[in-house]
Amino acid sequence: MVDLSVDLAGITLKNPLILASGIMGVSASSLKYVEENGAGAVTLKSIGPKDREGHHNPTVFAWGEGVANSVGLSNPGVEVALAMIKESMDRLSVPLIVSIFADKAENFVRVADKIMPLKPLVIEVNLSCPNTEDEFGKMFSLDLGAAERVVSMVRTVCDRSTKIFAKLTPEATDFTTIGKAVENAGADGITAINTVLSSIIDPYMGCPILNNKIGGISGRAIKPVGIEAVYNLYKTVKVPIIGTGGITTGEDAIEYIMAGATALGVGSAIYYRGIDVFQKIAKEMKDFMEKMGYKTITEMRGMAHRS
Amino acid sequence: MRYDKPKVVSIKKIIEENSRVKSFLFDLEIQAKPGQFVMVWIPGYDEKPFGVILKDGAGLMITVAAVGRSTKALHQMKAGNLIGIRGAYGSHFHLPSEAKSIALVAGGYGMVPLAYLAQEARKKNINVELFLGARTQKELLFASWMKEIGVKLHLSTDDGSVGHHGFVTEPFAEYVKNKQTDQVYVVGPEIMEYKVAQICYKKQVPFEVSVERYMKCGLGICGQCCVDNTGWRMCVEGPIINGEDLKKIIEFGKYHRTASGKVEYFPWVKKTKN
Ligand SMILES: Cc1cc2nc3c(=O)[nH]c(=O)nc-3n(C[C@H](O)[C@H](O)[C@H](O)COP(=O)(O)OP(=O)(O)OC[C@H]3O[C@@H](n4cnc5c(N)ncnc54)[C@H](O)[C@@H]3O)c2cc1C
Ligand SMILES: Cc1cc2nc3c(=O)[nH]c(=O)nc-3n(C[C@H](O)[C@H](O)[C@H](O)COP(=O)(O)O)c2cc1C
Ligand code: FES
Repeated sequence: MVDLSVDLAGITLKNPLILASGIMGVSASSLKYVEENGAGAVTLKSIGPKDREGHHNPTVFAWGEGVANSVGLSNPGVEVALAMIKESMDRLSVPLIVSIFADKAENFVRVADKIMPLKPLVIEVNLSCPNTEDEFGKMFSLDLGAAERVVSMVRTVCDRSTKIFAKLTPEATDFTTIGKAVENAGADGITAINTVLSSIIDPYMGCPILNNKIGGISGRAIKPVGIEAVYNLYKTVKVPIIGTGGITTGEDAIEYIMAGATALGVGSAIYYRGIDVFQKIAKEMKDFMEKMGYKTITEMRGMAHRS
Repeated sequence: MRYDKPKVVSIKKIIEENSRVKSFLFDLEIQAKPGQFVMVWIPGYDEKPFGVILKDGAGLMITVAAVGRSTKALHQMKAGNLIGIRGAYGSHFHLPSEAKSIALVAGGYGMVPLAYLAQEARKKNINVELFLGARTQKELLFASWMKEIGVKLHLSTDDGSVGHHGFVTEPFAEYVKNKQTDQVYVVGPEIMEYKVAQICYKKQVPFEVSVERYMKCGLGICGQCCVDNTGWRMCVEGPIINGEDLKKIIEFGKYHRTASGKVEYFPWVKKTKN
């Protein structure tokens, strides 16, 4: 019998497949629906300091190998979201990860502080959304100092029992250094990767399709980018990694585990294979492990580093 | 054929249905069943969901009421102008295999998916009783088209300019009291859909309804259109929902979510939850 359960920074997941932030997770009901379809944990769409409508449509479309989005961090704001987080905790039986974002380090702290009374298991600090920038007009996780500062400041308002994950972009030239820095600043784990900056132009219309002109690519197209990020990060940090980006099949999931991931974020695959993609990937992972004679996820973790 | 990246096409023809509503026709190969919708990219403005019709002899058609910024921009466009189309998306209406007679209840642009359904039902020789309501006679959408294909019309207007003077739900309620109908289909303002649903539950008539929620992706990933308490996506599991499943959508007739994801109660509901 193969066992898909994993220990993620002290939290037991029945399987390593986690709903990635911004996909489905906008309400307790939508998270519950994903849980019913086999996810081992679920992440809320990033919550910010205040109500945000996001960008105008087109905000999401799909092209063959990937999904393009510039949803623009629409969210009802932390005050309103509190009731939704509470309802999610009450209704879910799998762990909930609460993702947060802000425009300034101080506002990350404000958002985290508001959520803390609910005692979340995990806060994921989204430092890597292409749709927000820090004070200097840059994504937080492109800037070592800014990334470090946000994590250490959020750490000061969080109880030790709440784990902090930092979500990073692979676009930073010193990506692994930033990984090391957020680990030193107190992150209990790292989520990599977010979407990859991109634009798609319609040649007939003669303009970008996304109303925001640029956005992030997710889905199969970015899997090799995510694998590289996790592979190098695993060599640099000790904290667990949630490998994310293009995971669509059981074999994709195994690839990330072998690169060094402890758990796996799944998002766009819902588009490719339906809401029950979590059940499908879990089954494919089991089939693979049975065929290859693996019994646990742990024995495969980081395997690609052996030679 | 379904498009998930906007397919850019030129507008073949524009028909002015009335002072507030225009139909747009396109040459585009697309698969679409009654009740499904397309996402229409109005460049420089937005991308919005509209019900789809594959009209016999005319092809792909959308029919749009000018209500806000982007629908007004669409109304300004001319034949030959380019727009983008994705889809068709969502669930569709079902005609019971042995159906002899069905009833449609339509309000406003809700007539769009129902007209397509009526066309398909008439091809199968099913009797179609249409309860169509509008503010005034001129705004009764597709009345002559429906008559041509042998649909039985029961008209209502708010101003009494033709047919029943009042809500479309009233003659419908009278009808289901006395007449046998295999299935009811309702699309319109949610308050009207809600009333029709209550009538159908009471009379134990099976029905299908279109539950419209704010749409972004249409692909089932952004979560924007998820309903309480099931979490179903109205762009995948909806918009067409049958009466039994509708009982599980506790927000129906009560509230919906805005583009930010915030819960907003319909004006006719007293606010009880946030
Ligand atoms: C499944 C579905 C089918 C529809 N079919 C038709 C149709 O056949 N003909 C027609 O005229 N209209 C249809 N609509 C409504 C149409 O999408 C809105 O009228 C249009 O989006 C308004 O845009 P606007 O910029 O003109 O106005 P806005 O001022 O932006 O919006 C006016 C109202 O339209 C609704 N709306 C706006 N954006 C969206 C969105 N992205 N998704 C859902 N609702 C939105 C909201 O209720 C809003 O309050 C349909 C909606 C849905 C969900
Ligand atoms: C529509 C959409 C919205 C997203 N919103 C967020 C978000 O709010 N916060 C965040 O950290 N990541 C967000 N992401 C990124 C995903 O969490 C994930 O990192 C990325 O999509 C790669 O995984 P995938 O290929 O499995 O989708 C979003 C992605 C998509 C497609
Ligand atoms: S519109 Fe995105 S999930 Fe339905």
